[in-house]
Amino acid sequence: MLAVLLRRLLNVIPTVGAVILLIFVLFSVIPGSFTSTGAEDGRMLDPQVMERMRKEMGLDDPILERFGRYVGHTLVGDLGKSFRTREPVTKLIADRLWPSFKLAMAAMGFAVLIGVPLGFIAALRPGGVVDSVSMIVAVSGLSLAQFWLGLMMMYLFGLLLGWLPSFGYGDGGPRYLILPGLALGVGPMALLARTTRAAVLDVLNADFVRTARSKGMAEARVVTWHVMRNALVLVITTIGLQFGSLMGTAVVVEKLFSWPGLGSLLVDSVFQRDIPAVQGCILVIVLFFLAINTLVDLAYAAIDPRIRYA
Amino acid sequence: MRKLACMAAALAVFALGQAEAQTPRKGGTIRFTAPYAASLNSLDIHTTPRAQDDIVGKALNRSLYSWDSAAGKVVLELAKSVSVSGDGLIYTYKLRDDAYFHNGRKMTADDIIWSYTRILDSSKGFPGVRYIRIIKGATDVEKGQAKEISGLRKIDDFTLEMTLADRVEPGYYLFNGTTAILPKEEESRLSSHPVGLGPFKFVEHIPGSRVVAERWEKFYKPGKPYADRFVLLMMPEAAARDLAFRSKEIDTSVLGPAQYLVYRGDPELSKGILEVAEMFTRSMQFNPAYKPFSDKRVRQAINYAVDTDLIIKRLVKDKAYRATSWLPSASPAFDKSMKPYPFDPEKAKKLLAEAGYPNGFEFEISTSANESWGLPIVEAMIPMLAKVGIKMKPKMVEVTVLTEVAMKGEHQAFIGSSLTGPDSLATLLCFYSKTPRTGCNYTSFNDPAFDKLIDEAKQSADPEKQNELLRQANNLLYEAAPVWFFNYNKAVMAYQPWIHGLQANPTELTHQYVEDVWVDERSPAK
Amino acid sequence: MKFRANLYIGGACFATAVIVGVLAPLIATHDPVFDANLMNAEIPPGWEYPFGTDAQGRDIYSRVVHGARISLTVGLVAQCINSIIGVSLGLTAGYWGGWWDDLVSGLTNLMLAIPSLIFALAIMAILGPGLVSLLIALGLTSWSYSCRLARAQVLSLKSQGYIQAAKILGYSDLRIMFTQLLPNILGPLIVIATLGAGGSILAEAALSFLGLGIRPPYPSWGSMLSDAREQITTAPWLSIFPGLAIFITVLGLNLLGDGLRDILDPQSRERTS
Repeated sequence: MLAVLLRRLLNVIPTVGAVILLIFVLFSVIPGSFTSTGAEDGRMLDPQVMERMRKEMGLDDPILERFGRYVGHTLVGDLGKSFRTREPVTKLIADRLWPSFKLAMAAMGFAVLIGVPLGFIAALRPGGVVDSVSMIVAVSGLSLAQFWLGLMMMYLFGLLLGWLPSFGYGDGGPRYLILPGLALGVGPMALLARTTRAAVLDVLNADFVRTARSKGMAEARVVTWHVMRNALVLVITTIGLQFGSLMGTAVVVEKLFSWPGLGSLLVDSVFQRDIPAVQGCILVIVLFFLAINTLVDLAYAAIDPRIRYA
Repeated sequence: MRKLACMAAALAVFALGQAEAQTPRKGGTIRFTAPYAASLNSLDIHTTPRAQDDIVGKALNRSLYSWDSAAGKVVLELAKSVSVSGDGLIYTYKLRDDAYFHNGRKMTADDIIWSYTRILDSSKGFPGVRYIRIIKGATDVEKGQAKEISGLRKIDDFTLEMTLADRVEPGYYLFNGTTAILPKEEESRLSSHPVGLGPFKFVEHIPGSRVVAERWEKFYKPGKPYADRFVLLMMPEAAARDLAFRSKEIDTSVLGPAQYLVYRGDPELSKGILEVAEMFTRSMQFNPAYKPFSDKRVRQAINYAVDTDLIIKRLVKDKAYRATSWLPSASPAFDKSMKPYPFDPEKAKKLLAEAGYPNGFEFEISTSANESWGLPIVEAMIPMLAKVGIKMKPKMVEVTVLTEVAMKGEHQAFIGSSLTGPDSLATLLCFYSKTPRTGCNYTSFNDPAFDKLIDEAKQSADPEKQNELLRQANNLLYEAAPVWFFNYNKAVMAYQPWIHGLQANPTELTHQYVEDVWVDERSPAK
Repeated sequence: MKFRANLYIGGACFATAVIVGVLAPLIATHDPVFDANLMNAEIPPGWEYPFGTDAQGRDIYSRVVHGARISLTVGLVAQCINSIIGVSLGLTAGYWGGWWDDLVSGLTNLMLAIPSLIFALAIMAILGPGLVSLLIALGLTSWSYSCRLARAQVLSLKSQGYIQAAKILGYSDLRIMFTQLLPNILGPLIVIATLGAGGSILAEAALSFLGLGIRPPYPSWGSMLSDAREQITTAPWLSIFPGLAIFITVLGLNLLGDGLRDILDPQSRERTS
C-alpha cells in the first residue's frame, strides 16, 4: 500500500512541475491584459492609472523574473495576489472549493446511482431490446450540449413545475444542488453505464463462471464474486477518472447556474485576464485530479492486492 | 417608432410615479441581479471601476454627490449645502452631521480628506484618481511631492473647503462610486467586510454567488431604507436570468434586445419594464491610418450606406435610440433639431466615387461578440455595405482585447460602446487633438476648428454658453463623421410587480439608490 | 449474431450528417451568410422557411445544412489531429521505450490531468476565436487516450513473432511501426476517434457558450445553438434545429463508436472509458 502511494507520488511530481510551467507559458502569451478590462463597458481609462497597475502587478517585469517569482511562490504554496480582488489567490480558491466539491459529489452520486444499475440491467440480456434501449438512453445523455440540457431543466423544473430553484447557491443545500448536479452528472452517468455493462458482460462470459454455473449455484456465487471484484476495479477506475475531472468540466454548468465554484472563477478570471487566479485555479483542478487518481490506485490495491501498479 | 418608444418610456415613468403615490411598506427583501460578470472584483469600492461592483456599492457606500435621476443632474449627498466663490474655484461644503459609518462612528470632514488622499496613493492605481485630480494640489500628492491635498481644508468637523484646479462642476466627478467616503479605521478589511455610509450594512458575501446586506438603522435619510435586506445575485447568463425572473426568484433583470421584444409583447411582463436612454454611444470607429478612412467622404458614405434605422428596429428590437452625433440625447448639449444621416445608398456611391473609390474597397472590422454592439450588428451591415461596393470582413476578438486593439491603433475599424456622459465636456475631449489614442481618442481625430470650440468651452464660466459651444463641437463631429453613428443605448430593466421606487438612472441603469426602493407584500421573498 | 442496434442507428445518423454536409450547396435553399434580410427576421417555421429564420433574417434550414460542414470538420479534423499526435507518440514510445517513453508518458499524464475543455479554452483565448484556432485547440488537447492505447497495444505486440521476424529481416523501425504494428491496432483507435469526434463537436458548443467559439458569420451548430439560448422558450425554432443536429450527429458518432468497438475491438472491454 505504502509502496503504491510512494510510486504514485513520484509520478505526480513531474506532472505538477510540467503543469506549473505550461500554465505560466500559456498565460504569458495571452493577448489582452487585466488593466484594459476596466474599459469594457466603454468607461475611459486613465493611462497613468493603467501604468501604475501594471507596475503594481509586475506585468512589465522581464519574463524570467516573473517566472522565477511565480515558481518560487508556488512552491511554498503562495499562489500570488489576484489582480481583480487584490487578495491572495489561495483565499479566492478556498472560498470556491467547497461548493465545487459539493457539486462534483452531487453529479457523481447521480451518475453512480443511475449509471451502474443501467449498465447492469443492459448486460443481463446483451443484444436484447432492454440492452439497446438503455444504452441509447445512456449515450443520449452524452450527446447533448450541456448548457442546452441545463436550460431545459431550469425551464421545466424551475419555471413550469416550480419544484426547484432554477439557479444559484442559496443555502448550499440539496434543493439547490439537484439541477446543476443533474446537468453535470449526465455525461459521467453515460460513461459509467457503458463501463458497467462491459464489465458485467466480461464476468458473465468468463469461462470459469460458466463452468461454475453448470456445477451449481453455490459455487457460482463464489466465483462470480471473485470476478465481480475485477469488474469493480474497472468501475471504480471510471468513477475516479470522471470524478477527478468533474471540477474542470463543471465550467459550463457553473456559469449557467451561477454556481460559485472553481470553474466559474476560472472562466471569469480568464475573461478578465486575472492571470494569478487563472493559474491558481488550474493548478488546484489538476491537483484534485491527481489526488483522486492516487486514491483510486490505493483502492485497487485494497480490493485486489495482486494488481500491480503499472 | 421613436416617438412610440418615447411614449412607452414616459408611460413607464408615469407608472412608477403612480406606484410612488402609495405608502411605501417597511420591510421585505430586495433581490437585484448583477448581469455583467459571475463575480465581483472587490467590495472595496475605491479599487474597482467596474459597473457591476458599484451595484452593491450604491447600497453600502456613499459619495459626496449623487445622481438624481428625477432631476437629471448631480446633487449633494453627504453635504447639506455648498457655497461657491465668485471665480468658481472654491467650494465650501456644510457636511451632514448625521451620517454614520456602519461601525457606528459619525462621518466628519477628516473622512473625506482621508478617502480622497487614499485614492491618490500612486502605489495602488486606484481608478478614482482621475476624478480627484480636479482638486488643487491633488497631482502633487499623486506624484509623491506632497502628503496632503493642498486644495482640501477642514474648517471644522462639518465644514470642508475644496479648491479646484480648474473650473469644472465637481459633482460630475465626485458622485462616482470610486470616490466614495470610507472610514480610515476599517481600511484593512474593506475588501472582505466593507464598512460605508450607505443605507445597507454588509452581512455576507459568497464570492461568485451573492452579497447580502441589511438595513442600516442609523442611515441619515429619515424612514429609509424601506427594505430590511438587500441581496445582489450574480447572474451573468441572460438565458438563465430570464427563467429565474419568470419563476419569480429575482426582482430585477437587465434585458437584452431579444428579451426586450418578448417582455414588451407579454401582457404581464410588459407592466414591469423600466427604460432609460443611457449615456452610452455605440459606434463603429474608423482609423484614419487606413487610407480610405482618412477621407471624410468615405466615412460619410458609410453613414449613408447603412440602414441604421432598420438595424435598430429589427435587430436591436428598438432597444436603442438612433444616434445623430456623439453626445447622447440626455446631454444638455444635445441638439434636438439635428437629423441623423439618412439611409441613401446612391449618395454613398456618389461620395465613394468622388473620394476615388468608385468600385468600393475592403476593410477589416474588429468586433466583439456583444449582441448590441458587436458581431450581430456587423453581420447585418455586411450585405448593406456590399451594395455600395464595400467589403467588410469581421475579425472577432474578446471585449478585453478590443480595448487594446483600439489603443494600439493597428486596426482599420472597430465597433464598440463608449460612455458619453454625464459630463459632456469630458466626453468630447475624446476627439480633442491633444488627447492621446491611449486616452480615448481612438479615431486620432485632429481638427483645429473642433479644438478651438473645446478650448473656448473649457474657459467658459457660463454653463449656457458652454453648452452652446459643446453643441457646435458635437455638430462638427456629425459632419466630420469620425465614426459610424449607430445608437444611444436604451437600458431596459424588468422588475417584478411588487418592486417600487426604481430610478431611471441614465448613467447606469443598474445603479439604484436602493434606499428609495421598496417591496410590497406580494413579494415571495421572506 | 446479435442485432447490432447501435451500429446501425449510429451509422445511419452519422451518414445522414455526412451526406447533408457534402451536398450542402445543392440542398440549401439560401446562402447561409449573405442572404440576410432584416425584414424577414425571426419568422417561425413555415412553407418558405421550413426551419424558420434567425435574428438577421437568414434561413435556418440553410444554415443548419451548411453548419454540417463546419461542425463535422471540427469533429473529424480535430480528431484526426488528436489521432495523429496520439498514435505517433504512442507507437514510438511503446516501440523504442527508454527516455522517449518516459517523456511521452509524462506528457500523457499531463494532458490527462488538465481538463481538455479548460486547456482548449486557454488556447482559444490566446489564438482568438476562429475555425483554425478551434481546430488547434481541440486537436491538441485530447490525444492522451489514443496515445495510451497505442502504447499499450504496441507493448503487447512487440514481442510477437511477426514483429521479431520483421526485425530480423532488417526492416527499419518506422517501417515496422507503420506497416506491421499500426494496422494491428487500428481498430481500437478508430473506436476512440469516433467517440472523440462527438466530443469535439460538443466541446465546440461549450466553447461557444463560454464566448470563445468559432468566428461567425459562418454557421456552426454550436454557435447557432449558443446564440439562440436567450430565446429558448420564446423562439424555440432558433435552438431546436441546431440542437437536434448536434444531438443526432453526436449520438450517431457515439453509437457508431460503441458498435464498432464490438466488431473491431472485441477483447478489450477494459478500455471502455
